[in-house]
Amino acid sequence: MLMEVKKELKFILLSIKYNLAREMTNKVTFLTNIIFMILNNAAFLIEWIIFFSIKDNIGGYGLKDVVLLWGLASGTYAICFLFFGAVQELPNLIMNGKIDSFLVQPKNVLISILTSKTKVSAIGDLIYSYILLFIYGFSIKNFLFFTLFIVTGGIIVTSIATIFGSLAFYITKADTLTGNVMGTMLNFDTYPEGIFKGAIRILFYTIIPISFAVYMPLNILKEFEIIKFIAVIIFTLFITLIAFLSFYKGLKKYSSGNLMSARV
Amino acid sequence: MRKYLNIFKATLINELQYVSDIVLGFLSFLIKIFIFLQLWNYLYDDPSSLIAGLSKDQMIWYVIITEMIWYGTRNKTLVSQITDDIKSGGIAYTLNKPYSYIIYIITKHFGEISIKFILYLILAIVTGFIFIGPIDFNIISLPFIIIVFLLSFIINAVIRIIISMLSFYIEDSTPFHWLYDKVIIVLGIIFPIEVFPKVLQPILKFTPIYVVTYGPAKLVIDFSINSFITILIVQIIYLIVIILLLALIYRKGVRKLNVNGG
Repeated sequence: MLMEVKKELKFILLSIKYNLAREMTNKVTFLTNIIFMILNNAAFLIEWIIFFSIKDNIGGYGLKDVVLLWGLASGTYAICFLFFGAVQELPNLIMNGKIDSFLVQPKNVLISILTSKTKVSAIGDLIYSYILLFIYGFSIKNFLFFTLFIVTGGIIVTSIATIFGSLAFYITKADTLTGNVMGTMLNFDTYPEGIFKGAIRILFYTIIPISFAVYMPLNILKEFEIIKFIAVIIFTLFITLIAFLSFYKGLKKYSSGNLMSARV
Repeated sequence: MRKYLNIFKATLINELQYVSDIVLGFLSFLIKIFIFLQLWNYLYDDPSSLIAGLSKDQMIWYVIITEMIWYGTRNKTLVSQITDDIKSGGIAYTLNKPYSYIIYIITKHFGEISIKFILYLILAIVTGFIFIGPIDFNIISLPFIIIVFLLSFIINAVIRIIISMLSFYIEDSTPFHWLYDKVIIVLGIIFPIEVFPKVLQPILKFTPIYVVTYGPAKLVIDFSINSFITILIVQIIYLIVIILLLALIYRKGVRKLNVNGG
């Protein structure tokens, strides 16, 4: 079991390496993508400086907490799009019958699909997330927990997108649905949890589980609680399992588009 | 002129097939409005208080209108199609055709966003009435507001085209679109200019946000003929400058074009 996991991890890293090598053929585009993504993210700090000039506590968060929230959110999406950059394309690949070339590979089909693309801008997100961690307060403990949580967050976001993307085996418009769910997660998890009241918070623990991806990790970084830590780890494993089950159950219904293609 | 009208009509008819996709996109709009509703409810301790001279209702209506402009006019044609045409060299095939590529793109863009914008307009009005209630609005101001809205759409389209034309010089202009998006979202959609520090307010009036989002939304929530004239003058000046800039970039860019056979 452990050997299998080790092999898959090695495969993921190799895929990313080759994806990045391909993207680096045009160095100017490669670098502008990274630098502009950092600037793009930084623009939102202005938004929060303005909000905090109106009130110094928003939903129980101070400016420093929002900085950490943004760091975790950026890091989470960075891990998702750096390692599993094709997750957004999964519904289209399924709907257009384009996963044949992945089926014949001697590796896990889902992992092969998800790791077949890397978004260069995700490197900008990753750098930005660590810059924000430094602004929040760097320590070895914070660094290790932060790194762990952006990995678990990235896996949670990827898993949710895979679950919704796998609906493309059964319905059309799964691409729009996946886009909407990912957009919803991104919209909510960059705002303080405390401003949301009532039933909406149930969604944060279920359909759009941003509590496990971002809010709980933030609370743990501020004040360690073993229960929350275990909850994040168990939920990550659980949602990953559901994502694999959803995909492979749907795969039985897959029909090829008979498109001749080769992966290079 | 007739050929552009036909392009507009053909695109409009084509877009009718995608109404269900537009409706699915409503979710994202509603979530944004929901978040800002929660946020401004939190920031206005006392519902009767004013922030930067605006009441809570005015502030939320402002966000609804600017988000409506944002969602209702977003279109891939101005971003992806131009960039792809330049990167692939496909733009070369349009050079000897009896139409202007830029006017073709603008016409196509307006054909694509017309239905979308009308649907978002209806959604915005319904959302505003449900969550906040009616706003103090004089129907006589409507023709003036329509003029400012139309100009804001044209200015936004021309700015987008200018950014996409940067692909003549660097291969992928998408990162510059991200920056423009963020300038509009952070400075132009979330807050009106009055919320920013006083020192920054005159500078912000020179940025695209004043003519693209702030101007039209401000006239809806707080109309005055003086504001209309000021915004209209700035829009006209902006339009002249960016059209000249676009002509310059396009003319120079086309000369730089390398087409790799095929």
